[in-house]
Amino acid sequence: MKAELDPVIHSQARLRIMTTLTALPVGDRLTFPRLQSLLDTTAGNLSTHLRRLEEAGYVTVTKGHQGRVPSTHVEATRAGRRAFEDYVGRLTELLTPPTGGTSTTEDR
Amino acid sequence: MTTTPTEATMTEHGAGPAHDRSPHDDGPDDDAPLDPELVAQIVADQRARVRSAIDVEARVLFGAWGVAWLLGFGALWVAESQEAAPFGEGVALAVFGALLLAAGGVTAWHLTVRTRGVHGTSAVQGAMYGWTWFVTFLGVFALPQALERAGASGDVQTTVMTVVPALVVGALYMAGGAMWGDRTQFTLGAGIGVVTAVAALVGLPHMLGVMAVAGGGGMLLTAGVDAVRRRRGGGRA
Repeated sequence: MKAELDPVIHSQARLRIMTTLTALPVGDRLTFPRLQSLLDTTAGNLSTHLRRLEEAGYVTVTKGHQGRVPSTHVEATRAGRRAFEDYVGRLTELLTPPTGGTSTTEDR
Repeated sequence: MTTTPTEATMTEHGAGPAHDRSPHDDGPDDDAPLDPELVAQIVADQRARVRSAIDVEARVLFGAWGVAWLLGFGALWVAESQEAAPFGEGVALAVFGALLLAAGGVTAWHLTVRTRGVHGTSAVQGAMYGWTWFVTFLGVFALPQALERAGASGDVQTTVMTVVPALVVGALYMAGGAMWGDRTQFTLGAGIGVVTAVAALVGLPHMLGVMAVAGGGGMLLTAGVDAVRRRRGGGRA
């Protein structure tokens, strides 16, 4: 049975967000500005897509303060990492001829 | 590979995989349809981009410290071993100090740029490791005064201040390698430990030459290997 790719991740912007966040070790998070600079996107665009990912439970967005400066941190959740892994696994299945079942190379 | 479709990871319709219509996308998607090849390319590109942006590079750090050791220990070696050295020990020490400060500056700058905006587990781990270096070297830099007060000769001072900091560096590289599962760093640390032991056995003045050539040279070699590996695209964190 071939399922389709997760529509929450299957968009260029959100795919790049999830790729970036899951490239970090578990337990690491990025500040909003750093994430934005790694994606070359506008704050508004990033916020919109983060909201969608947050609604799906794939990322957590924490608003806090560093000293007196407000700071926002973004982190991939466990569910988000798993969904991304599934997404990449499914993608690999689509790219390789049938008789799949091979594990993907993603282990970070 | 986990395959746990518990989340809403699958769409309900089973259309052809190559053309995803993403009917649920109600957000302002700026996206053209994605085919699997393009998706794979995006993932690979973005991964490479993140790595090159946040990776702490061995070639930069070991390059800077390798130059400092090679030239600094080298200058001291020349000053201590040559009858007609073009400069004295004082000049050599000043040069060495300036080189070490410069390497420290490069390290601080590189780490700041690369880890900017990264918080959480690895940041805490990195900070603890950084403090380990700081506190240990606070102790190392307190040694000369203690030695002087104890009446140590210049040779004793030079010996201790060559062997002890180098051993600390070797040990911390090995520990860092163990922490991050980084064989390159571990191997360099082990190499520095062995080189320092050899230097201690050689004794003054040529222990300084051993540290310059084998110690500094080993760091530069490690930096060079890392640079080549990166150019081939197989660079590891």
